[in-house]
Amino acid sequence: MNLKKPLKMAVVVGMALIIAIVPLVSGGCAGDGGKVKVGFSICYTGPAAEKGRPMGDGKLDCIKYINEEMGGVAGHQIEVIWRDNGYDAAKAPTIVNELMAKDCLLFTTCSSGMMTASMEIANRAEFPGFAVFSAPALTHPPQHIYGQMPDYGDDWAAFAEYYLENIWQGTGKPKMAMHLLNNSTGYGARDASKALADELGIEIVATEEHTPTTISEIESLTRVKALEPDILYISSTPQPTSIIVKNAVELGLYPGITIGCGHASFTSALVELAGDDVTEGVYGVFPTVNWGDNVPAMDKMTEYCQKYHPDDYGNMDYITCWAEGLIVAEILRLAIENVGVDNLTPQAVEEYGFKKLNNFDAGGLHGPVTYSPGDNRLSKSVRVFQVQSGEITPVSDWVEAPLIKYEDFDWFGR
Amino acid sequence: MDLPSGTRNYTYAQDMAIFRTKTQWALLAALMVFLFTAPLYWGNYWLGVANLIGITIIAVTGLNILTGYCGQLSIGHAGFIAVGAYTAAVLTNRFELPFLIGLISAGLTAGVVGMIFGIPSLRVKGFYLAISTIAAQFIILWVINHWSSLTGGFTGISVPPASIGGISFVSQGSQFYLIMIITVLVIFFAKNLARTRPGRAFVAIRDNDLAAQVMGINLFRYKLIAFFIGCFLAGIAGSLLAHWVGFMSGEHFTLMDSILYIGMIIIGGAGTTLGPIFGVIFIRMLQQGITFISPVMEQTFALPAGFTTGIGPMVFGLAIVLFLILEPRGLAHRWALFKASYRLWPFSY
Repeated sequence: MNLKKPLKMAVVVGMALIIAIVPLVSGGCAGDGGKVKVGFSICYTGPAAEKGRPMGDGKLDCIKYINEEMGGVAGHQIEVIWRDNGYDAAKAPTIVNELMAKDCLLFTTCSSGMMTASMEIANRAEFPGFAVFSAPALTHPPQHIYGQMPDYGDDWAAFAEYYLENIWQGTGKPKMAMHLLNNSTGYGARDASKALADELGIEIVATEEHTPTTISEIESLTRVKALEPDILYISSTPQPTSIIVKNAVELGLYPGITIGCGHASFTSALVELAGDDVTEGVYGVFPTVNWGDNVPAMDKMTEYCQKYHPDDYGNMDYITCWAEGLIVAEILRLAIENVGVDNLTPQAVEEYGFKKLNNFDAGGLHGPVTYSPGDNRLSKSVRVFQVQSGEITPVSDWVEAPLIKYEDFDWFGR
Repeated sequence: MDLPSGTRNYTYAQDMAIFRTKTQWALLAALMVFLFTAPLYWGNYWLGVANLIGITIIAVTGLNILTGYCGQLSIGHAGFIAVGAYTAAVLTNRFELPFLIGLISAGLTAGVVGMIFGIPSLRVKGFYLAISTIAAQFIILWVINHWSSLTGGFTGISVPPASIGGISFVSQGSQFYLIMIITVLVIFFAKNLARTRPGRAFVAIRDNDLAAQVMGINLFRYKLIAFFIGCFLAGIAGSLLAHWVGFMSGEHFTLMDSILYIGMIIIGGAGTTLGPIFGVIFIRMLQQGITFISPVMEQTFALPAGFTTGIGPMVFGLAIVLFLILEPRGLAHRWALFKASYRLWPFSY
């Protein structure tokens, strides 16, 4: 029997099947029934899942609410294509490619890390997107990527100004030690301190670094303690921040100094991980309101959270991404209003959606959302909170973080 | 090598030929036609996945030469890829040098760095060498993250699109051609390397280094050559990765990635040319498949958002464990069995 014939047949049939099926699988799916598509790259699993899960839940619940109770955006349902990026930088580019191929009009990521891995592909294709948590590198220089909230450098600037005006009672320059996560979350704050510390009148006496999986910072905090700082500023995520705060208490460094945290760590998870008594009095900045605050979006958000994801109740990351859902809807509404649903393209959404945002109130959940030319931060305000009796309690009104022109500094990496 | 019935070698050249039957040539031609027409019917998404697969095949082929052929276990391969990526990024961004210079320099720099970290291989092997290569992973990433004046540090560094002679490789389709051509060349190189004097020396060292030394093989020299070649290819992969992603930060090169590359050569079949190809395609497609599972299941069964995301890691882990139990010699071995059974069919022997 001639065995080459079946092989050749198999090859021909196989190739024909591949050629026929692949375009069906990979091809863009045009919006049907007037739906508008958006893409979410969510770190539901992986090393950032403790933040990614409530964030993903929040944004998907919000879109569900908009579709089911608000009738979508300008009468058009929002179709979400979401993918779990697993906080894997290798996956992130393929996900943004997929979202573009599937005709999404914009995309979002939860973290600055995943946006970093996606942004250049998106920038080259002029595919607009925004990161909920952002680092200076995403928006400096401004291109097609936006930050929903102030970045980690803005946190530092806002906290430093608050400290000088409301807490510092000594003379001369207060001494600040910084404890930074070894990625853009940590070093975003470092960049801001390099740009503004002298101008504000703060002396940076130490810059320590930790990993996301640190289990002890006794050694680094011993070095910090020897320098007698007035402030310990931590820019990190909840797990390592809880270790640092606990170690600071063990070393007798805290109480006695002020501890301030960036927004990536200052959630209920920090208090749960470190304990009420240990975190008592710790300050932190966060760009949203707190659970239970009297703002328009609170009731509906609480209802959805308790109905679909009760475990997320109390987690401020859920709030940030509920707000993200509202902002996505507003961007789409503006774009539809300006160019009509039939003419929507990613470029049109950026030009007539993102860039038309003007004092949009995201249900009062965070500061007003405005696009300013040359400044791709959509919301520019944070509030200072303090742990009081185990509760994260606001101690300031909205504080607008100044725009730092990082690209003007030689040392800025990009 | 087993040959189809009726196929005989009459000259040395025939004996050494990689492709010797008309069927093999036809399949090769079909594959080339398929690859070079792929951008016509693949969307951006699949082209992006193919680009990632191509880059990973280059990196894992390098690791296969080092670990699969020469038996030098390296768990720092992502670090060597990082060296290549940052070399290309710095040369093309900061010094505005052409892509090709960046590409070759990336390979050479990673190769030299690999040789430095390969020096302990003369004294240590197995798990001990693995630990010393883990050190490479951490040291390289530490240097990259803290040499911020050159590398951008934690902020990262932009990388311009690759361009050759005025042709800029910006779209996924154009990058696909660039990456696939280099991937094919690398596979061809690896296949031939295994049949050269160094290639045979690598295998001798892997199988019994004492016996190899008794036979006159200079262990130190050939181990360092293996490190250089393996890391050179890692550097080439890093350069392509940098130009494909367009922005580099340390988060692209984790220890998990290094371990994943080891998994790829085990699943594909260590010490074979096809192994890295099968392993990379299997793992990368599994990863892509898993990203689809959660949303599809939630839509199909009307589950709450995020309900099914734990399934992805479970499926991934289960697939790898099952694979190691059922086919420990890798997909390349399964492919060899398939070819053998095809040649004998319908007879069992």
